[in-house]
Formats: sequence, structure tokens, C-alpha cells
Amino acid sequence: MSDATANMTIYLKVWRQASATAEGKFVDYKVDHVSPDMSFLEMFDVLNDQLVKKGESPIAFDHDCREGICGMCSMMINGKAHGGQKGTTTCQLHMRKFKSGDAIVVEPWRAKAFPLIKDLVVDRSAFDKIIQAGGFISAQTGNAPDANANLIPKTVADEAMDAAACIGCGACVASCPNGSAMLFMGAKISQLALLPQGQPEAPRRALNMVKSHDELLFGNCTNHAECEATCPKEIGLEHIARMNREYTKATFTYHEKARGGDGA
Amino acid sequence: MTSSKLDSKVPSGDLYAKWDKHKFESKLVNPANKRKFTVIVVGTGLAGGSAAATLAELGYNVHAFCIQDTPRRAHSIAAQGGINGAKNYQNDGDSIKRLFYDTIKGGDYRSREANVYRLAQVSNNIIDQMVAQGVPFAREYGGYLDNRSFGGSQVSRTFYARGQTGQQLLLGAYSGMMKMVNKGKIKMFSRREMMDLVVVNNQARGIITRNLVTGELERHVADAVLLCTGGYGNVFFLSTNAMASNVTAAWRSHKRGAYMANPCFTQIHPTCIPVHGDYQSKLTLMSESLRNDGRVWVPKKQNETRKPEEIPEEDRDYYLERVYPSFGNLAPRDVSSRQAKYRCDEGLGVGTTKKAVYLDFRDSIKRDGLSTIAGKYGNLFEMYERIVGEDPYKTPMMIYPAVHYTMGGLWVDYNLQSTIPGLHVLGEANFSDHGANRLGASALMQGLADGYFVIPYTLSNYLASNKIDKLTTDHDAFKEAETRVKLADDKLFGLKGKRSVDDFHKALGHYMWEEVGMARNEAGLKKAITGIRKLKEEFWQDVNVPGTAGEYNFELHKANRVADFLELGELMALDALERNESCGGHFREEFQTSDGEAVRNDESFCHVAAWEWSGEKAAPIRHVEELKFENVQLATRSYK
Amino acid sequence: MSSAVSRYFTSSIGRKQLIALTGLGLCGFLVAHLLGNFTLFISSDAFNLYAHKLMSLGPLVYVAEAGLAGMFALHLGLAIKMTIENKTARGQKYYMKTRTGRGETLMSATMPYTGLILFVFLVLHILQFKFGPVYNTEIDGVFMRDLYRTVVEYFQSPLNTAWYVIAMSAAAMHTAHGFQSAFQTFGFNHGTWTPKLKLLGIAYAVFVAGGFAAISIFLHVKGA
Repeated sequence: MSDATANMTIYLKVWRQASATAEGKFVDYKVDHVSPDMSFLEMFDVLNDQLVKKGESPIAFDHDCREGICGMCSMMINGKAHGGQKGTTTCQLHMRKFKSGDAIVVEPWRAKAFPLIKDLVVDRSAFDKIIQAGGFISAQTGNAPDANANLIPKTVADEAMDAAACIGCGACVASCPNGSAMLFMGAKISQLALLPQGQPEAPRRALNMVKSHDELLFGNCTNHAECEATCPKEIGLEHIARMNREYTKATFTYHEKARGGDGA
Repeated sequence: MTSSKLDSKVPSGDLYAKWDKHKFESKLVNPANKRKFTVIVVGTGLAGGSAAATLAELGYNVHAFCIQDTPRRAHSIAAQGGINGAKNYQNDGDSIKRLFYDTIKGGDYRSREANVYRLAQVSNNIIDQMVAQGVPFAREYGGYLDNRSFGGSQVSRTFYARGQTGQQLLLGAYSGMMKMVNKGKIKMFSRREMMDLVVVNNQARGIITRNLVTGELERHVADAVLLCTGGYGNVFFLSTNAMASNVTAAWRSHKRGAYMANPCFTQIHPTCIPVHGDYQSKLTLMSESLRNDGRVWVPKKQNETRKPEEIPEEDRDYYLERVYPSFGNLAPRDVSSRQAKYRCDEGLGVGTTKKAVYLDFRDSIKRDGLSTIAGKYGNLFEMYERIVGEDPYKTPMMIYPAVHYTMGGLWVDYNLQSTIPGLHVLGEANFSDHGANRLGASALMQGLADGYFVIPYTLSNYLASNKIDKLTTDHDAFKEAETRVKLADDKLFGLKGKRSVDDFHKALGHYMWEEVGMARNEAGLKKAITGIRKLKEEFWQDVNVPGTAGEYNFELHKANRVADFLELGELMALDALERNESCGGHFREEFQTSDGEAVRNDESFCHVAAWEWSGEKAAPIRHVEELKFENVQLATRSYK
Repeated sequence: MSSAVSRYFTSSIGRKQLIALTGLGLCGFLVAHLLGNFTLFISSDAFNLYAHKLMSLGPLVYVAEAGLAGMFALHLGLAIKMTIENKTARGQKYYMKTRTGRGETLMSATMPYTGLILFVFLVLHILQFKFGPVYNTEIDGVFMRDLYRTVVEYFQSPLNTAWYVIAMSAAAMHTAHGFQSAFQTFGFNHGTWTPKLKLLGIAYAVFVAGGFAAISIFLHVKGA
């Protein structure tokens, strides 16, 4: 709790890279007085504070809410996305899960579609691009019917919520041996395919999002399920399956004919 | 002093018809002309995201800016509980009028009637809109939306999506934005921080931003600027806000002429996970719903060494049940928070820091069974165990209040326009519809109301009824603003001091929490003002910002934010000092009854205090907007 | 090709469904092949008669062979393309990458390698038997190829037998992941049925690969 228990020593091996184009390398750090009650990121705060006071450049890492919901934090810890603890983001991983004297390797997410920005910070805007391709329901403000006009059974709403829980952190891509974003994309396609509001656009959505995913150079899914295992929100492969169904259905049933203007 | 600038522009007439009347009287922009206007939206949480998406749908060109790598991470995402809507789906007596009334009363009669009524009116449209966008709100087996009662409300009007309502609503607004990005109507600028506001001919016409990755300063010109940058709870260093939440955009607009209203109105949430060490970076909220079944207590004697589960009944003080026999553990947020502080001040706090109280589920587990309690709170218990490392099924939770929301913010009129024409402020960033205290599940409602349903009307009125000249970023005003930012950076780098930015931030947080926190008094506030002034001087002499401006340099980002927090902190203390009454989240120890209840002073303080910046050296000027209550009777809150 | 067709054949999901479809087709072939080969346990005549019967189907033989070759080529070609894309998608490799133990398995991780072994095996297999030494025999007055002798002679070598067992282990690993994975790829995933399907996949892998391996060991032990 207080300083009395802040007695762990941790040996870190951290990827340092000044910019996207600079040469990167691992740098070793020894962090003393680590408390078991610290979060993993608080240990980095302590280290950075020491680095700043020594006049060295602190380690850049992404973080924001620090309560496991914003999806900003992203560290590959000892070869596992977010450290591999079930249902846990890096910010909620605590040092009591480690022992004093442990050596920990920390790397950024590695994926062609997530170019590195600095140290442990990567650019995940590819996720926004996938959503832009169709991860929405086109309900212009003001259009909406009464909220209870469409009945949605509890089981369906619950399953949609399971998928919607995605925080867009990218752990699925980072941990997938193929660097695939199918769980991220599948979660959104599945959520909207489950809901009646999502039906009108469902085929276009599936076709366009998958196209965008492929163009962004994410890898292909080969059903390892490592994404599911590291997803901090424990989103399951069934959502990838639903996406596969939606995509197949759209391929064989959806056809958009080119038509002229509506006139006026 | 009263100010001509503080014209609330509330439409005349019957309260219930004001908004409809105002919408009809507002000027519209011709569809073909909308594409000629560019609107800057700073911040992409619920307010900014919904505003950006809606304005883009209407045809405006929107330039949206967010501090994170993507709009989907704005801190609205962290709201757990739910969103209020006066649908009355439960047939339990709810109505727009009742939501209006509850919000006014909850805000301790320090908000504007007309704004609050409008908020209650559009609350229903918000629920419809969010459902249409695919937000998976909780449902009954029959397919109808489920509601719960929240924060001691007498009706069930809260819609929720598991414990992640804020996230789901934000993702709804975000998906709307992404749709419009795809259509080319929103240009998204992420990892950008607004560093200054550009005002030309007394109109807000642009902003200076820092590209946080490259460090580059950028100029952006537009016909209007919308600030949707959230609250300033991080002035306390520790709060439930996200690490990047800050006041810089709002504060720098304040320095350009926007008045800051009621800055001392801060909401402190009673059930957060306590501080566990000096290294602590932020606080985590535990849902208020825990108090439905948990009993709050502290040991009766100081320096208790026994484990909580070994302390017998006669040595426990269930102080909320003792002091408030009728509300007990469900006493309102501010009341419960203050009681916890009193116990800890008396030396009865628990845990190693002695700054915590117990929240015990032993009796409810005995009464309802382990599985019932696990069914209700299982995921919260898991979260607690992940952070604290203790099992709340076996040993009582420890909780302590934490800063959660700021009701104060930039002053806006009924049109959400600040004292700078063209600068509109939405969501938590404005001084809001919440008065001196916000009801649970109303923050999400207000952000979305402003963005989806208010600003589209009031902005078009502004654009259609004002002459807005053509302008480019070569204008001197942009050059000046950019230079101002650059000079401040140079000054920070030049100091090469010995203390880190966080050192100063923590020291500021200490003053704020101790003197401008849950309970305030004249001596403490004066001490805070002097202390913060001194701290500010030291900051500008001894802070150490490593690196350069031309790189991803978050020490520089933080230094700029803390510089603004130092000035805001002083103003908050001053505002609290001037407000000689206790109301809502603002509790002045001098103004309480003999048994410790807040005493409001409606004679002298039934007004909004809006502060005008008058330069580094001069004292800020306090203006007031009188609040007139024509539809509700001012009453005293009581929870005994 | 219409745009919908070309889109399907070039998309990640479309291609992996083709891999899954051809994979399942090949799985089916393996079962048929194994059932036929069980005649090796009965007698030389039984096996030769079976082989003769198959080969006397005339043009159908060529159609079946072409179909199999096509499936195999598609399966292999798409899998190679996919594997290369997947390696590229990572970009810079991790210094340290460990499995959680809750997702990726040895079987799923080694699909490209077990696949490669099976490809080498298949080429050799065809060369060794289809284009191997030709002997003739007469059963009930009908002249036919004595394929049984070709097979038995081959398995006299302990090395040959060992290679077959190794290749069949690879087949077991490949199909244990591949079989159940194909259903997921087509979008079938169900809380109750998917775990059972996974078990069925393992049972399939053990049965088919075990069956073939058992035959090679049986023939090795039995002798010419």
C-alpha cells in the first residue's frame, strides 16, 4: 500500500524508437520501489518521472482513461497483448501479478496496418477507416421512430451488447499470428446484423467493411482464436462467424443496379 | 456586477412553449448555402461527436478535432450508469415536467429554468435517436426497453447498456461521425490539441492546434467554433477523468473573452476506489448502485488494527444510517461524500492511508444469498478485485469520494453561445444545465441534447443572422495566436528547472482537494489562493520540460495543461470564496445548520457567477446573471 | 467475371471459404480412400479387385482425378497466397511472442508446415504407387494390375513405413484444426454444437490418419 510495500524491483526491456523512420532498439531499465498495488502504467509513470528528472526522454506510450474502457493503452507484455490476463487491459494489469526481480519485455503492437509513431505508440487509424466503410446505421438525426417501435428480444440485445463492448484497442490484431482485424470488424458487423435497425444496410456493410479491411493490409483469419483469448472485453469468435455468414449472404443475394438520378 | 454581456436570450412566453417558439423564430440557412460554411468542432465526446455528425448531415463542412488517436476514445466513454429520458415507459408517473423539476431541484436551484426544461423535452428524442443508431440498450424478454431507478430517483427513467452506457452512446455518435467522414463532410483531425482561439472582429473564427505527433502548430479557420472539450476535474490531479482531460481549450477561450461561470461547482462522487499511494495516477469509480445493498461504516475507535471482518457489530459505526435514518446508505452524492470525509478527519478512516471507509456486503449476502449479490454486482466486484487485490465477497470494500464532474464551465446563453459571438460551448464544457449539482445519468443526456438537438438550430440562426467575412489563416490574428503559443513553449523549454510537471500538478491537486474540495471555508480558500499563486510562480521558474517542440513530447503537452490548471485552480478558490452560501456540490462550512446541513442563501446568491479574465496581473471580474424561477418553488433539500 | 464473383474470389473471407470448401472436399476424399484401402486388411485379391473396379470406371476416373487435382491446387494455391499475406501483415516481427494458451494451438500454428509436409507426401505418394512398379495378376480369369504387390513391397522398408506414419501425424494435425475451422469459416458457430464439432474434428483426424498409418504398419509387419 504505502512505501513499506513498494519493495519490488522490476527489470524492463522496452522498445525505444524516436519516430516512425528512426532506427529502434530495446533499452533495459531497472525500476526500484515498485508497489504491488501499482498498475502497469503507473510503474511506467514512475520510470518516466525518473527519466525526466535525469534529463532523458521519457517513454511514449498511449493511455487515457486508465479504467479499461477507452481502448487507448496498448502494450505487448512478455509476448502477450495487454499481458494476457483474462479480460484485462494494460491499464488494469497490476504489478501484484509479477514477482520482484522479474524481467519484462514490452513492445508496441506490431502490424503493417498499425505503423509505429514513437516508442510504444502506434497509429490505429486503420480501425476508423474500417468503421467509415460501413460500421454505422445511417439514421440521420431527427429520423428516429419511437425507441420501442422495434422490439428486440433480450437475448438478441444481450448478444449485440457482447459484440458492441469492443473498445477498439487492437489487441486482436496485435495477438493474431496473422495480424488480422477480423474480430474487431466481426464485432461491429455482428452487432449491427443482430439488430433490426441494422438490417437495411447489412449487405452493403459486410461487403464494404471486408473490402476496406483487406485493402488496409490486415491479415486473413485462420481461426487461431488468439484474438478471443486476449480481447479485454472477451468478444468471441461467434461474431467472426456471423460476419462470415453476413458476407456470404451478401455475396450471393445482394445486387446493386446502377440507376440514373431521381430527377426533381 | 451585472453585465450586459450576460443576456441569457431566453425566449419570452410560457416555459413549455419556449423552445418550439425559439426554433420557429430562428433563421435557417438555405440548403445550398450550408456547404459554404465551415464549422470547427473541438472535442468528439458525446457533445462534440453528436454535433459534428448532425451538422455534417445538414450539409455544413465540419472540421473535427480530438486529442486521442480516434474520436471513439473521448472520456464520455467511461460513464457507467445510464442516461435519463422522460419516456414514462414504466407508467410510474414520470413526465417531461417531472424530469425538469428533479433536475432543477437536484441542481439546488442554481440553473436556468428554460434550459433545463428544454433538456427534459429533448431527452426523449435522444433515446429514439440512439436506438435508431444501434445502441444495444438493455431490454426485457418481450423486447421492450428496460429502465432502472438511478441515484435515488423516485421513477425509473434511466436507460442503460450494461455498465457501459457512455461507451455505447459514444460509439453511436462516433459511428455517425465516421459515416460523414466517409461522405467527405467531416474532416477529422486526431491527436490534435487546441492551443488557442482566434477572434477576429469580435467573432470566433478559428483555432490554433498542436499536432501532438509532430509538434507542429496549425491554423484552422472557420465560420464558427464549437467547444465540446469536457470538464476540468483534473485540476484536482486525481479524479475519475481520463489522463488527457484538461481545461486548456476552455481556459484559453476564457482568456480571449469567454466568461467562466460557476467554476467552483464540482461534483464529488462518494464511491470510488481509494488512493493507495503517491504514485497513483487516477481514480476509478465504482457504480453508485453498490450503495443499494452495501452498508457504509467505519470502526468506532481510532487506530483499529483488527481486520474489518473481525470487528464485531458493537464496534462499528454505520454512520450514514445513524445520521440519515430515512435515506441511510442512499443519501445523495454530496452528503455521503462529506460524511466520509468527516469520519476520516476524525481519524476513523481505514486502510493504510486512513483515507477510506468500508462498504460492506456481508449482511446483504446473508440476506439475499451469494448468487443474488453476484448476479447484481459480479462484474463490479471483479473490477474491484483486479485493482485492489481483495475479494469483496469476503472482506468489505474500501471506498472514498473522488472528483467526478464539474458543473461549472464557460458561460453560455440559451443558444449555447459564449460571450464571444460564434464561440459555442456544448456538454460538460459549458456551465451547464445542472446548477450546483448534477443528477446521476444526466451528463450523457445533456451532452447529446446539446449536440443533436440544440446546436443545429441555434447555430443556423447565428450563421444566418450575422455577417461573417471571408477570412484566411494569413490574417494577423492567426499569426498572433500562433506566436503566443510558440512563445509559451519556448519559455517552458528555457526554464530547465528541477521539478517535473507532475510534481506541480500534484501540489496543485493537494491544495484543491484539501481546501476547494468537499468542504470549504474562508481561511482555507484564502490559503489555497495564496498557495496556488506561489505555486504558479515556482512553476514558471522551476519546471523541467525535456525534449523539443518538434516531436511527440507529452511532457510539453502536460506542462501547457498544468499551466492552465494553475490559473483555473485559483479562480475556483476565488469563486468558492465569493459564494457565501452552501449549495449542491459547493459546501461552505460557515453556512450550515447546527446538524451540518447546507444553508443556501437565495437572497444574495440565486445567480450565476461568470468571471471575466482581465489579464495576468489584474484580478478577474465577477459578473452575475440573476436566476428567475417562475415555475418552481425554491425549497430546502432534506434527507433526514 | 461479374464484379460480385471477382470480389468474392479476391476477398479474404471469400478465399478462406474456398480453402475451407476444398479442404472439406479433400477430407471427404480421404475417408473414401481409407474405406477402400481397408481392403488391404482383408486380402491381396480384395484390394486388387477394388483397385481394378475403380480404374475401370473409364472417363469418370479422369473426371474424378481432375476434380481432386483441381481442389488440391486451389487449396494449396490459396493457402500459400494467404500465408504470405499473413506473414506480411505482421510487418516487423515481435522479439517475444507467447501464446495465451486459450487460443492458438500447436495444430493451428503449424497449418502451413503440416500442409507443406502433406504436399510433399502427396507427390511422392502418387509417384510411388500410381506411377510405381507395375505388376500384373489374374483373379477369376480377369487380368489386372497387382497394385497390392507394389504397396506391400514399398512398406517392407522401415524407413518408408516411418515416413508414412510421420506424414499421417501431419495429416492428423492438419485436419484436427482444419475440419472444425472450416465450419467457423462458413459462419457456423454455436454454443452447444461447436464444441461437439471440434471433438468430431479430432475424432475424424484420429480415424483417418490413424487408419492409414495402421495400414502401413500392418503391411510392414505382415510382410510380402
